[in-house]
Amino acid sequence: MILRLARRWEVALLLLLVAEILIFGLINPRFLRPASLLFGTSDFVHIGMVAVPLTLVIIAGGIDVSFASTIGLCAICFGLAHHAGAPVPLAALAALAAGAAAGLFNAAMIRATRLQPLVITLGTLYLFSGAATVLSGLIGAQGYEGIGGFPPGFTALGYATLLGLPLPLLTFLVLSALLAILLHASRLGRLMVLVGQNEDAARHAGLPVDRVQALTYVLTGLAAAVTGLMLTAYFGAARVDLGSATLLPAVTAAVLGGASIYGGSGSVVGTVLGVFLIGYLQQGLQMSGVPTQVSAALAGALLVAVVAARQVGALLRDRLPPRRLLAAGRQFGGPPAVQTESLGGGEER
Amino acid sequence: MFERLLRNRVLSLLLVAGGALAVLGLLAPGFLTAATLGSVWSSALVLLLLSLGLLPVLLTRNIDVSGGSMLGLSAAVLGLSLNAGLGLAPSIALGLLTGLGCGLLNGLLVVGLGVPSIVATLGTLGLYRGLMLIATGGRWIENLPQDLKALAARGALGISPLGLATIALAAGLALALATRRGQWVAAVGDNREAARHLGLPVRRIEALAFGWSGLCAAAAGLVYAAQIGFIPNQAGTGTELRAIAALVLGGVSLLGGSGTVAGAVVGVVFLTAVDTALVFLRVPAYWNDLIAGAVLLGVLLLDGRVRLALAARDRAARLRHGHAGRDGAR
Repeated sequence: MILRLARRWEVALLLLLVAEILIFGLINPRFLRPASLLFGTSDFVHIGMVAVPLTLVIIAGGIDVSFASTIGLCAICFGLAHHAGAPVPLAALAALAAGAAAGLFNAAMIRATRLQPLVITLGTLYLFSGAATVLSGLIGAQGYEGIGGFPPGFTALGYATLLGLPLPLLTFLVLSALLAILLHASRLGRLMVLVGQNEDAARHAGLPVDRVQALTYVLTGLAAAVTGLMLTAYFGAARVDLGSATLLPAVTAAVLGGASIYGGSGSVVGTVLGVFLIGYLQQGLQMSGVPTQVSAALAGALLVAVVAARQVGALLRDRLPPRRLLAAGRQFGGPPAVQTESLGGGEER
Repeated sequence: MFERLLRNRVLSLLLVAGGALAVLGLLAPGFLTAATLGSVWSSALVLLLLSLGLLPVLLTRNIDVSGGSMLGLSAAVLGLSLNAGLGLAPSIALGLLTGLGCGLLNGLLVVGLGVPSIVATLGTLGLYRGLMLIATGGRWIENLPQDLKALAARGALGISPLGLATIALAAGLALALATRRGQWVAAVGDNREAARHLGLPVRRIEALAFGWSGLCAAAAGLVYAAQIGFIPNQAGTGTELRAIAALVLGGVSLLGGSGTVAGAVVGVVFLTAVDTALVFLRVPAYWNDLIAGAVLLGVLLLDGRVRLALAARDRAARLRHGHAGRDGAR
C-alpha cells in the first residue's frame, strides 16, 4: 500500500517541489520566509487557473491552446462593459459569458469539422486575440495601456487576503478542489477519463462523448474568464495580451503533472504540483540573482528532462523481470507514465 | 470535374485565393501588380522556409513547435559571429549548423527517448529561446554588415538571392519527396507499424525530419536577419504557430502521411497575401489577427464539411453497389 503510494507520480513531484524550495532556501534564506512563499504565488497562480481545466481537456482526449487569447478577450469584455457604464458585477458576468461562449465555440467547431482540436484551437487562438484587439481598438484603447479606470474596490481584490491567504491563491485552490472532485469523484469525471482512453469505444458504448468533451472546453473558457478578471484586478487594467504568457507554462504544468498528451490519464493534484514547481522555480531563480532569460531556458529544460526521465523509467520498468509484477498482484500498478493508470485506479475495485 | 476540384485541397485553395485576389484587384486598382507580388513573396519567405521545414515532420505524424526559437537561436549565432568579425560564409554555416543541431536534439528526444513530439518541442521551444537570450545577453544584435543585407536586396527579376535560394529549396524538397526514398517519409506517418514491417528505417527517418526542420528554421533565421538588418530578442516568436496554420490551410494533415510542397507554398502565400491585402486596403493593423483567424477557421470548416459529405457519399455508394466504390476520401 505504502509502496504503491510511493510509486505514484504525484509523490515524486511533491518531493521535487520540497527539494526545490529547500535548495532555493539554502541559496537565499529570504526565499523561505512564509510571507514571501505565500504572496509570491500571486505572480504565477493564474497559470494554474487555466492549467487545471486544461488538464481536464487533455484527459478527455482534446487539447486547447486558445485559452491564452480567451483570457485577454474576457478581460477586454469586462473592460468594455464597465466602460459602457455597467456595474462591476454585471461586467464580470459579461466576461464569464464571453469565456463560456469561447469554449462552446471551440467545441462546436471541433465537432462540426471533426478535425484535430490542436488545429481548431490554433485558429481560435488568432480569432479570439484578434477579436479582443478589435474590441479594444473600437474604443481607442492602446495596446499596452489597455482599459483602466476601474473602481478601487475592484482593483484591491487583486491584493486582498482572506483567511490569511492571498485571494488569487485562494481562488486557485478552491477551483482546483472543485475540479478535482469533478474529475476524481464524480460520474462525469469517470466519463472524461473513459472518453479520453478510447473515444471510439466510448461512442459505441453510447456515452455522450461530444457533450463531455464540450463541457471540458467550456470549463476552460470559464476559468480563463476568471483568470482574466483576476489579472485585470492585479494589474489594474484590462489588456489584450494579459494571458499571452500563460500558454506554454500552463501546458507545461499539465504535462509535468502527469497528464498524458494522448488523453485518458492525468490528475488535478499533479497539475497543481506542476504549477507550484514551475512558479517557484522562476521565482527562486529570480531571487537567487539568475537573469530571467536563464530561468526561461531552465523551465524548458526541466520539462524535457522530467518527461524524458519518466519515459526512460517506464521503459526500464517494462524490462524488469515479470516476478515483480506478479508480486504486485496486478498488471498495471505502475505510475501514470503507462497510460493504463485509471484502469489500475477505480474500476478494478 | 467539379468533384475533383473539391477533393483537391491545393487546387481549391488556389482558386479561392485567386478569386479573392481578383476581387481585391477590382476594389483597389493597383493591387495586382508585379511589385505587390514581389513584396508578398519576400514577406512570405520566413514563413515559407519554416513551413517547408515543418512539412516532413508533419508527414511523419510528429509535430515541431520549437521552430520560432530555433530561428531566433540560429539568427543570434549568425549575428554574433558576424559581429565578432567572422566572414559571411562561415557565419552562415555556423548558423545553419546551430539549427541542424537543435533539430537533431529534438529528434533525439522524440525518437531516442520516446517523449511525445509536442511535449519535447514545447520544452525545447523554451530551452532554445533561453539559450538565445543567454548568448545575446538579452540585447538586440544590431549593425549587421552590408553584405548580409545585400542577400535580401531585390536582384534579377525582382527576386532577391535568398528568394531564389528558397525557390530552389522548395523545388528540391518537392523532388526529394517524390523519389522512392522520399515517399518513405509519408509512409512512416501514414502507418508507422506497416512501415517498420516493410523494413524502412523508421526512427532514422523521423530523426532526419526533425533535423531538416531545424536546418530550415536556421535558413529562415538567416532570411529574417538579412531582411530587417537586426536581430531582436523576440525574433521568430509565434511564427511556429503561423507555420502550422499555413500548412493546415494548404491541406497538410496533422495525422501524418498526406501533404505536398505545393500545398505548403499555397498556404503560406495565401496567408501572407491576406496580410498584404489588408495593408493595401488601409485596414487598421489591429484587424489582422481577427481576419487571419476567421479565414483559417472558415477554410477549415468548409473543407471539413466537404470531406465529411464526400466520405458519406462514398460510403453510401459502396453500400448500394455492394462492392468497393470510389476510394480516396481521406
